[in-house]
Amino acid sequence: MTPVGSDEEDLTRRERREQARSNRKAAEQAAAAAASRRRRMTQLAGAVAIVVVAIVAILIATGGGKSKPPTPGSPAAKNTPPEVQKEIGGIPQNGNTLGSPAAPVTLVYFGDLQCPICKEFTLGALPGVIEKWVKPGKLKIEYRNLETATREPETFRTQQTAALAAGAQHKMWDYLEIFYRQQGAEGSGYVNEAFLQGIAQQVPGLNLSKWASDRSNKAYESQLEKDRESASNEGFNGTPSFLLGKNGALNKLEGSEYGSLTSSTGFDTSIEKALKS
Amino acid sequence: MRADRPRIALIALTVIGVGLASYLTYVHYAGLNNLLCGKGGGTCAKVQSSQYSKLAGVPVALIGLIGYIVILCSLLVRQDDRTRFATSAFTLGGFGFSAYLTYREVFSLEQICEWCVGSAVLMTILMVLSVWRYLRGDAPAASLDAPAQPAEQPAAVGSSY
Repeated sequence: MTPVGSDEEDLTRRERREQARSNRKAAEQAAAAAASRRRRMTQLAGAVAIVVVAIVAILIATGGGKSKPPTPGSPAAKNTPPEVQKEIGGIPQNGNTLGSPAAPVTLVYFGDLQCPICKEFTLGALPGVIEKWVKPGKLKIEYRNLETATREPETFRTQQTAALAAGAQHKMWDYLEIFYRQQGAEGSGYVNEAFLQGIAQQVPGLNLSKWASDRSNKAYESQLEKDRESASNEGFNGTPSFLLGKNGALNKLEGSEYGSLTSSTGFDTSIEKALKS
Repeated sequence: MRADRPRIALIALTVIGVGLASYLTYVHYAGLNNLLCGKGGGTCAKVQSSQYSKLAGVPVALIGLIGYIVILCSLLVRQDDRTRFATSAFTLGGFGFSAYLTYREVFSLEQICEWCVGSAVLMTILMVLSVWRYLRGDAPAASLDAPAQPAEQPAAVGSSY
């Protein structure tokens, strides 16, 4: 009897030890899992904090679209007309076209005055193109209007008409060039009557009262509609977009052809090809 | 060995993201103006040609493409705790950047580009899935089998995926 009872007692003791070991192991595993989870949560919280700091920095760096164009009379505004004169002064203008009417090759430039990429092109590749091809009378550039960056159709109509009205005095390109140089931040609502008047005042030799009365000419609204239709026919819905060709036979000029909007090299190659065609 | 379904799903979604960002990067550099988009492409073109389409001179489409490729790389290497954390961190970064771009679309430009929204949704799913996968960890599944084969546990952590 006694050995049997001792065996049972031993078994129970062993079972208890096993049980305790098992419990201890489970508790250790649970503690390890909790510690691991805490570590993961801490690491993720660190990553989230870094991301939040980076995004706030980007938001601050890119601004709230509040930067303002130079006010008329400011040093920045004073520098613009001489810059523009240096670029296009002495080149014949006719309405929306810059360059000699006899130039064999035509580049059509679809733009929106509030489009920042158009500004990039106007200040980037365009001066080189004007210098190399327009000044020697080999190329003329026709500006057509296509609403992209401007949010309000009414604002678009007003600003583009203001430029077209300067074209009645053969000064549309002066207006365009000054506008792009003083372009404000997109979506900041900077284009108002004072801004448009300010640009006009900077155009050398522009008769302001004639310009003001020309702005209400209904022909410009038809011009805007015609430009929109021609863009639509080409499948353009972004600006800047281009057509290029000789003697009126215009073809789409794709981005893959001109390559960069900030360098005229790609445009030079395309224009040279058009001249030889 | 057990199939890591979240990882497979993450890889599949990231590959879609690489395709989407590649298209937008191509459109940006090719200067294509017939971008396929709702409302005749107008809103996408506006967003793509806005001042916010670049960050420090780098097109955001290219930044997105690089982001998706980095996430994909983190998923294709041998998986362990560190790589799962890396995937989570990268997708958190991508989610934050997508949130910034969506903010710009809605509040600064007041234009919505379907491609950008698609990418933002994709990045949100990637972030949720990768964070859940990292928090879930490998331990619970492995520990169920662990008492019987404690010696095999460390190997299982590194080689089960």
